[in-house]
Amino acid sequence: MRAFLAGAQIQLRFLRAYPDAAIPFFTAPMFSVIFQMVFRHAGREDLTPYAAIAPVFIALWWLALFNSGWTITMERWNGTIEMLVAAPSSFAAVVFGRITTTTLLGVVSFFETWLVARAIFGTKITIYHPWAFYATVFVTLFAMAGTAVAMASLFVLARNAVTFSNSASYPFYVLGGILVPVSFLPHWIRPVSAVVFLSWSADLMRAALQAAPMHEFGFRLAMVAVLGAAGLLVGLYAMRVILTRVRGTGELGTT
Amino acid sequence: MSALVSNARVSWYAIVSGANDYWAIFTLKSWVFGWCVRMLSQVSFFALIGKLLESDKQTQFFLVGNAVMIAAMGATFAMNMTTSERGNGTLSLLLASPSRPVLVFASRGVYVMADGVFSALLGLFILGPAFGLHFPFPRILLVIPLTALVGMSAYCFSTFLAGVIIRKREVTGLLVNATIVILMTLCGINVPVSFYPGWLAWISRCLPITNGLEAIRDVIAGAPASTIAAHVGAELLVMSGWLALALVTFGAFVRAGQRDGSLEYAA
Amino acid sequence: MPAVDVQEIRRIFTPRKREPVVALDGVSLAIPAGEVHGLLGPNGAGKTTLVKILSTVLLPSGGRAFVGGHDVVTETEAVRPLIGIVFGGERGLYTRLSARQNLEYWGALYRLSGAQIKQRSAELLERVGLTERADQRVEEFSRGMKQRLHLARGLMGDARVLFLDEPTTGMDPLAAREFRALINQLKGEGRTILLTTHDMVEAETVCDRVTLIDRGRILATETPRSLGSLISRFQRIDVEDAPREVLEAIRAIDGVSSVTTLEDGTVRIEVHEEGATTLVLKELVDVGVTAVKTSLPSLEEVYVQVIGDRGLTV
Repeated sequence: MRAFLAGAQIQLRFLRAYPDAAIPFFTAPMFSVIFQMVFRHAGREDLTPYAAIAPVFIALWWLALFNSGWTITMERWNGTIEMLVAAPSSFAAVVFGRITTTTLLGVVSFFETWLVARAIFGTKITIYHPWAFYATVFVTLFAMAGTAVAMASLFVLARNAVTFSNSASYPFYVLGGILVPVSFLPHWIRPVSAVVFLSWSADLMRAALQAAPMHEFGFRLAMVAVLGAAGLLVGLYAMRVILTRVRGTGELGTT
Repeated sequence: MSALVSNARVSWYAIVSGANDYWAIFTLKSWVFGWCVRMLSQVSFFALIGKLLESDKQTQFFLVGNAVMIAAMGATFAMNMTTSERGNGTLSLLLASPSRPVLVFASRGVYVMADGVFSALLGLFILGPAFGLHFPFPRILLVIPLTALVGMSAYCFSTFLAGVIIRKREVTGLLVNATIVILMTLCGINVPVSFYPGWLAWISRCLPITNGLEAIRDVIAGAPASTIAAHVGAELLVMSGWLALALVTFGAFVRAGQRDGSLEYAA
Repeated sequence: MPAVDVQEIRRIFTPRKREPVVALDGVSLAIPAGEVHGLLGPNGAGKTTLVKILSTVLLPSGGRAFVGGHDVVTETEAVRPLIGIVFGGERGLYTRLSARQNLEYWGALYRLSGAQIKQRSAELLERVGLTERADQRVEEFSRGMKQRLHLARGLMGDARVLFLDEPTTGMDPLAAREFRALINQLKGEGRTILLTTHDMVEAETVCDRVTLIDRGRILATETPRSLGSLISRFQRIDVEDAPREVLEAIRAIDGVSSVTTLEDGTVRIEVHEEGATTLVLKELVDVGVTAVKTSLPSLEEVYVQVIGDRGLTV
């Protein structure tokens, strides 16, 4: 537990020391402005829920990809990974603490997004199904953190992690239907979307912000949880591989 | 004359070294599967809004706007390359040389900008048909030089910004992303300039991309040549303005950095 | 029970597409509690590899090792709280954070309570002389300061056994001296210290005993005094313009191992007995030869002599 908190604390300190960490908190409200403009111009105020949640997903995914994803790799480049291994605390707990902190901070983008919509466009966002909404947010954050753990571990092991992380933003925004629902994508892509937890999450959140009753809530929420858990398990397993390599071969064997 | 030749040589070598750096990062595979996929996804992400709105006209609007934006993105990424000079420790060497730093800086990123322009056109011509749009041929070919113009205009803007932050290199990533998203918001990419309130439209027209993009939309819509020319002229004016500003201020920023020692950090 | 007990440790590295490298070839060593033990050897001797194994960061390919009586392979949870590592160098610190923040982080990872963390980091900063710079970013520190911070970091867990890997490399002589004074203080507190170095002077001044290691094998374990006399036995004298007869006379002196003419005309006289140097110099000075230079052989050359000598006398 202490390791988890130590990880959380240092992550907050990193946030202050590295300005890049603030990027998603700037871009989220700007995207909010863009999407609001688009729907206003098109005369489709009914689509404001769509405009309200897309920037949040963009921010959260960015945090997962660029902050969390590089956690372990940065330790490696910094020369501190061996010291982390040698310390009594659990390596996984420290990493998890850092990633959870990053992910929770993403919640700020919710407020930014909605504030901007309200202040500039006078948009009011009504949560028609509050319990469903908050439950979805909670499980989504969990899934985001789990996926981020997978990214953090896999980026260390994969050879082309840099390329992947630089280009894995928009493809997932499209596949995840975070702005335009997956139902608008061609048929052949939809199975891929089904394994991206974002698509389930985004659908649920949009539904919670609209008056119509929600269908199959339990099942859809479970899908988010399951996919997130899968990410977490993959990440923890990969972390074990990393630790074995550090101790076994004495090097992580990738560039 | 010889000053021109030696300056040109400096530029050329800087361009080549920039290109080499670039290909050190990208292999063909990673360019295609990494950058290209991302780029096509980005344009598609916005073009799909047109599908959501059930309007082909809107789809085209978003597609063209965001494809052209890719060119500007390339130009803005170039800021990264120039400020990495400090990180590499090559900055002090550069400053000690007789060449003007702005020249080298401006030239190093040209390749990235060119890549952006190329990608933008690729996006336009691949995704246009994919989304069921029909572009008027041969008129559409005019879009090629116009996109290059937008790229160059954005590049001058980005060079100016690179000078502004040369002393605070750790802010580069933030500024690059902020610039991109602000341009996406204010340059008539996703909504027409007419949508903006008066004062904002004015700001918009002073930014790169806006006028050039309107020229591109004019070409596709078949507007009269005079309208197109007016927009092109405006973009050229904007580009020159930012270029002049960059040339004037870059040296000053560098000197300020030399005075307060902020250029030293290889952070 | 020794604080550090190494039994026939082997470590082989198999880098991709290259021949396997034997970094440690059956190394055995016992360090009693409270001793400052030097591991002296040239680059690539296996010093860092041994330290990594003992600090549970690397697994051995064979053999066993114990720290505080616990097996470093199977009982890592018992070993880790006991040890402190000072790997040194430019890396290993969070450069964008302050010195204090670095220490606090590791304090937490070493399971200290909140109050302990604050107190101990302040104490250690004081101890290594970094109090004034405690809240500055590490990236602004000089090499010597970073090294001191590394030491403070290694002590956050109040380790009973400390591993210092070439801690003074790259330091200026003054800074290195201060650092060694710190090590002496730590020894006074009863901590066991394993220090790796390729600096003979350092080994001599700080350590209770010194182990010579080269190419993964231990050559011997000596006290510094013996080491000192070992080295000073093997002196060399370089002479210019010495008359032939004098050189013949010198060759005949007991304790002179060789008299060779080098390419540039200088004559190199090598001795292997203490006291022989004085005799040689006397011969030279008596005939007025003053272009004389004495030097100590390098560690490698000592080894060569030593191995050729078939072992050392303690």
